[in-house]
Amino acid sequence: MSDQAGFSRRRFLQASGLLAASAPALAAESVRPEASGKGEGGVPPAFARLLRKADLPAPRGARVVVVGAGWSGLSMAKYLKLQNPDFDVVLVDRQASFTSLPLSNPWLVGEISMDFLCHSFFDAARNHGYLFLQATVLGLDREARRVFTDAGVIGYDYLVLAPGIDYDYERIGVEDPVEQQLLAQRYPGGFVNASELLTIRRKIQQFRGGTFLLTVPDGDYRCSAAPYERACTMAAWFKHNGLPAKILLLDMNNEIKIMKDGFARAFSELYGDYIEYLPSSLISSVDVAGRTVSTEFDDYRFDDAVIYPPIRGARMLEEAGIMNPHSPEKTANTDPFRYHVIGDERVYVTGDSRSQPFSRGGHTANSEARYVAEVIAGHALGREVAWRSPQTMCFSAIDIRPMRAISLITFYRYDEVKKDFAFDRTHAVEQWDEVGGRASVAWAEGLFQDMFYE
Amino acid sequence: MKGRFFLLLSGLLLLSGAWADAPAKMKIVLEFQPDPLNGRKVFDVCARCHMPEAWGNEDGTYPQLAGQHATVLLRQLMEIRTGQRANALMRPFVQERTLGGYQNLVDVVAYISRLPMDPAYIRGPWSEGTPEYDKGRQIYTAHCAACHGPEGEGNAQGAVPRLQGQHYPYTRRQAIAIKRGQRRADLAMQAVVSQLDEHELELALNYVSQLEVPKTDLAPTPNWRNPDFK
Repeated sequence: MSDQAGFSRRRFLQASGLLAASAPALAAESVRPEASGKGEGGVPPAFARLLRKADLPAPRGARVVVVGAGWSGLSMAKYLKLQNPDFDVVLVDRQASFTSLPLSNPWLVGEISMDFLCHSFFDAARNHGYLFLQATVLGLDREARRVFTDAGVIGYDYLVLAPGIDYDYERIGVEDPVEQQLLAQRYPGGFVNASELLTIRRKIQQFRGGTFLLTVPDGDYRCSAAPYERACTMAAWFKHNGLPAKILLLDMNNEIKIMKDGFARAFSELYGDYIEYLPSSLISSVDVAGRTVSTEFDDYRFDDAVIYPPIRGARMLEEAGIMNPHSPEKTANTDPFRYHVIGDERVYVTGDSRSQPFSRGGHTANSEARYVAEVIAGHALGREVAWRSPQTMCFSAIDIRPMRAISLITFYRYDEVKKDFAFDRTHAVEQWDEVGGRASVAWAEGLFQDMFYE
Repeated sequence: MKGRFFLLLSGLLLLSGAWADAPAKMKIVLEFQPDPLNGRKVFDVCARCHMPEAWGNEDGTYPQLAGQHATVLLRQLMEIRTGQRANALMRPFVQERTLGGYQNLVDVVAYISRLPMDPAYIRGPWSEGTPEYDKGRQIYTAHCAACHGPEGEGNAQGAVPRLQGQHYPYTRRQAIAIKRGQRRADLAMQAVVSQLDEHELELALNYVSQLEVPKTDLAPTPNWRNPDFK
């Protein structure tokens, strides 16, 4: 196969590890090509696209490919361009547009509009001088510095992987991939994509009473405050609408993970009749058809549910062979200060699949990206950049009509004795008020403005 | 027909008159009596990011606000509110809907300016006795001291920032941003930064970062915590 991208078909198959398994299977099953629309050997002609160069202009400087247009990838792309205008930056995402997960809890209960959460990748790229490519990444060839996507192959000088998280259903005893699919669709967690959010909103709006089950995963899941915030905002909705509903909040942790005073007080003072909080509930199995979640000690039947399972670094990291097998959240094997893959200073991993234990959330990703962009620009120019801490600014809505919120900001430091990162200075405001509610909207507005418009 | 023509003509005359002779700029001067007690309440919003001490941080991502002239703080708030000073993340927080009207702005800057400063402010890399320090002193004295003061004390009346006690990574980042046209500044400041290269700016800012802040303006220790937040 003659290929414009300049590598052999065999090498591609080896590198991606994807077609290696499927192509022979397709060939074996093949029917007559003219009847099936399949090409030579039963492989659909569209597969040839995978082996071409992606339709991108020739790079005008060192090309930096950023995979994943979430909070981390968007911020990376912008600040890479700011740090070094000569970088030719391409941002790749499988989605066509952006829907914010932060602030989605207030949206679920009608406090803010979907317009506020939705933004265009085209605007971000246009306003910040980089290119956006809608494509799904299939694999990497780090030796030849190439990324394989369903829109073709992209060569890179630097590669930033910000693929976010996947759910790790195995950790709640759901091991069969088909069962996992079913569970993900029936009772989505709402921490990965917009369809989950839309489904959860319908569930809330159509709920007429009974037990609504919510879960808090264990481990370093995405957005520590969000599951507790969701319990509060949903309870507020049921309360304001006078519904005979009970929220059963099964927490896999021993206690509320963050802003404990604020949430515990909200549960008892505002939602004593609505929220039943059960800590130390280690979920061991889920019966989707039977609408039952089980722990070692009890079975919990529910009328409807939002099941947020533990999370892991995106599977593409494992498939690319850069996952640290010892990390509980299956995160990347990277340098904790400089973010590059161990032994490869051309590939960086940021955002929620990072290896460091920083709180997973939008503001952490944005502030981290400002630093990592400097590191990469510095690497290109042979300049050292001093490590600095990301910041985690987190708002949680406690009540609605009007929205009242609590907040927390924290920084991190490296503990030389424990050889790990720890919380540094922290400031929590655990008494909910309207000022906090307005400030949480300001928080998101500022970050959207930063990532998309200016 | 005749009447219609006349109307049209007079419309054109009015239009051209407006173009030729734009109204002169007008200034509105408003006076407010600062109320630091209310300022403490307003400061709740600021402290959610700037922390209760408003000391900034050592990497310069936040400035030391404590002890800064109230007029300087007010000017920054106004310029960030209107977008004259680009700061996407902070702008929504200082809008009227979040922070309140002019009285609240005046109150909060009065409060912040009276907070004791972080005694462990970050100094530049070249201490007294190094050639870089001496070079920085020369540059500072020749180019900066006229407005920012010989001790980096700034000027409250002229809303000129106090540099003394400010974290070096912050002043460095801001000066370079002004030089690269990423942060707006008044004409005098623009003129100065255009005459100096980035390293000369670093040297001048290193010098001012080594200057001592009067003890009375500092918190007793770096472990001091704002008692208003207990």
